Amino acid sequence: MRLSEVTERVSAATARVPRSVYAVGGLVIAIIFPLLNMAGWVETAWLRVGVISLLFVMLSLGLNIVMGETGLLNLGYIAFFAFGAYTTALLSSPKFELRWPFLVVVVLSALIAMVAGFVIGLPTLRLRGDYLAIVTLAFGEIVRLTITNLQDFTNGPNGITGIYSPRLVGEGALESLGSTGPAAWLVIDKPVEYYYLVLVCVAVTAVLISNLKNSRIGRAWNALREDELAAVSAGITASRAKLLSVVLSAGIAGFAGSLFAYYSNVISPESFLFMQSVIVVCMVVLGGMGSIPGVILGAIVLQALPQVIRQAAGAARSEFEVYRMLIFGIIIVVMVIFRPEGLLPDTLWRREAHEVDPREQEKTRQSLFDLEEGEKDLEV
Amino acid sequence: MSLDHIVSVTIGGLTVGMIYALIALGYTMVYGVLKFINFAHGEVFTIGGYVAAFTLLTLGVNDGMSALAVAGCLLAAVVASVLVPMAIGFLVERIAYRPLRGRARIIPLLSAIGVSIVMQQSIILVFGSKPVTIPTLALSSASIVVGGIRIRVLALIIIVVSAVLMAGLTYLVKSTRIGKAMRATSQDMEAAEMMGIDTNKTIAFTFIVGSALAGIGGFLVIMYYGSLKFDAGFLYGLKAFTAAVLGGIGNIPGAVVGALVLGMTETYGVSVDLGFLAWFVVAGLVLGLYVQMVRIPRRRLQHIAEDRRTPEYERNLLNVYRLTPYHGVKTLLAERTDALLSVSAEHAVRLMAGNIFLAVVAAVMFVNANVRIDTRWQPVIAFVVLMVILMFRPSGILGEAITEKV
Repeated sequence: MRLSEVTERVSAATARVPRSVYAVGGLVIAIIFPLLNMAGWVETAWLRVGVISLLFVMLSLGLNIVMGETGLLNLGYIAFFAFGAYTTALLSSPKFELRWPFLVVVVLSALIAMVAGFVIGLPTLRLRGDYLAIVTLAFGEIVRLTITNLQDFTNGPNGITGIYSPRLVGEGALESLGSTGPAAWLVIDKPVEYYYLVLVCVAVTAVLISNLKNSRIGRAWNALREDELAAVSAGITASRAKLLSVVLSAGIAGFAGSLFAYYSNVISPESFLFMQSVIVVCMVVLGGMGSIPGVILGAIVLQALPQVIRQAAGAARSEFEVYRMLIFGIIIVVMVIFRPEGLLPDTLWRREAHEVDPREQEKTRQSLFDLEEGEKDLEV
Repeated sequence: MSLDHIVSVTIGGLTVGMIYALIALGYTMVYGVLKFINFAHGEVFTIGGYVAAFTLLTLGVNDGMSALAVAGCLLAAVVASVLVPMAIGFLVERIAYRPLRGRARIIPLLSAIGVSIVMQQSIILVFGSKPVTIPTLALSSASIVVGGIRIRVLALIIIVVSAVLMAGLTYLVKSTRIGKAMRATSQDMEAAEMMGIDTNKTIAFTFIVGSALAGIGGFLVIMYYGSLKFDAGFLYGLKAFTAAVLGGIGNIPGAVVGALVLGMTETYGVSVDLGFLAWFVVAGLVLGLYVQMVRIPRRRLQHIAEDRRTPEYERNLLNVYRLTPYHGVKTLLAERTDALLSVSAEHAVRLMAGNIFLAVVAAVMFVNANVRIDTRWQPVIAFVVLMVILMFRPSGILGEAITEKV
């Protein structure tokens, strides 16, 4: 049996399972997971892996909007994550002795990332796909280098430390409620609490995006991805729809960045390297561009699985990191060549990924025809 | 800033620019033929440098050897740093790019990013993550003194070797059979196929030539700086890509021009303490020159009435703006001139006056500036140039014309 047949059968099998089964199943597993930790069966380190994986799920969901739905490759996506993280760090740390309320900080972080997305998107979105990718890459690097060099503001390479834990209610209310029992959950400072906080945020984001995907604007994005010319003639304002997708995905990254800053306590420019952007891209490619369950799966597989393997193999961190990145690179190449629609493909993408541009096909056929005709002429 | 400084900084900029040019040529040729950004090209450059260093270290080159033996070692390093990247360029095209031909633009780009990661991590696996360092040779530290200015011999060698290679490439593309095939393939792949050109072979050849140039670039860099890090290719590759876009991607002389402009900007940017205001003036001058030389003339061409439009008239109008000191002034002084030409000449002279003013101010500030080295913002310069050029003029300085224009 040829490889393409195998993949074809797998995708046929996965397509038969209703999408809701994945959603409910995944959510149940995600909710049960920390309970295992509370019962003492799973180490707390795994909970940390879980939190980071969920943050990456959120990032890939965000990147999926531009990359999967609208078909624009963004190689500097981690910059928006950095915007969110640094906004949070500055507004809620001893650096400027600020401790703004959690909800305000999170919303503001997302908003600032959105503004950054708007500012970078406005002049660059008219560029062709590959140029856009490089511009976003340059943008990501400029953001990182600027953060590193603005010592007074961001502490440069040392990063900002001591970010406060999020409090879901104000200080006064917290004192009146006391700090025991269920009220302890109002101050998020334990891994379990972070885990559930991030899980809720991820679930909300996923629902929001899947609704958007089937809405008017989601169709507009897909139409732009498939054929911009046709979409524009059908009455879609290309620049507005594209800008909206970039701004929205930037907002989600900013949101995730804010949670990341709260969770990790310390942030430094090293968390926002180009490689991180590539990892998120890899997650989207592996899971399936434009497919929400696929993207979630891709993020979890690429973030959590390596940790599991590392634990099992007992490998040293630095050495393991090399192999991990090597495999990521191979995954991108192999997926793009053999299964461009990803592990859990979106139906639309599946059709599109295997189809050669009809105009190109027509041209090739025409030229072959011409060639045969020419040969006949020669024979005569 | 004295004359010594200006000369030494300029030579530094030329050296860096030439290395960027060697890498940028690979980007631009591949783009010209396939309309595809070969993201992994920077890593090919790193591999060239590593292979050269590995060869030198294995042969145990040092100054104790006779001159002939050192020369032999260097030759072996050059050969290795050309052959290995050639093989890699060929294989990568065959394995990772050819199956994706004809797909949407971002698909091959994704594959190229994957390849680039694989190569970078493979370098770490094979050579370790520490920077590779070669022993200091008399050649790499030698310098000559011309008129009181000290110049590294190696800088001159880099400039000369790169210039020779570029001349060779121009000859190859312009005058040989395979070069003709490359130009034909870049113009229209199907038509080229119908003319009996094996486009697959031609594309593979393009990759091989580009990789060889990048490999030599790697060799020259490791000789010049003495060490190379495994991730150096990322930055060099991006800068070279910036250079290619700056000059007009797909355009071979454009890549060289763009690389030299970028090298100069970077070197002056990190070594001259001009202050904020002066950079404003320099930016204004660049913008002013662009407006005078490119922007306005192109718009003026549209003002020509249909019945007067001849190539000669168009050339005259362009020359009024581009060669204002001669053509513009001559038009103004002539007894009888065409109305459009005369209006344009006045306009051009006014623009020129503004640009000369800015140039004088910039020159005065340059002469008074201090020399200091601050490399913190060095990579940012290239990225900002890249973003600005792609936002405002994606076709680059010399236009996005393909190899045909060589």
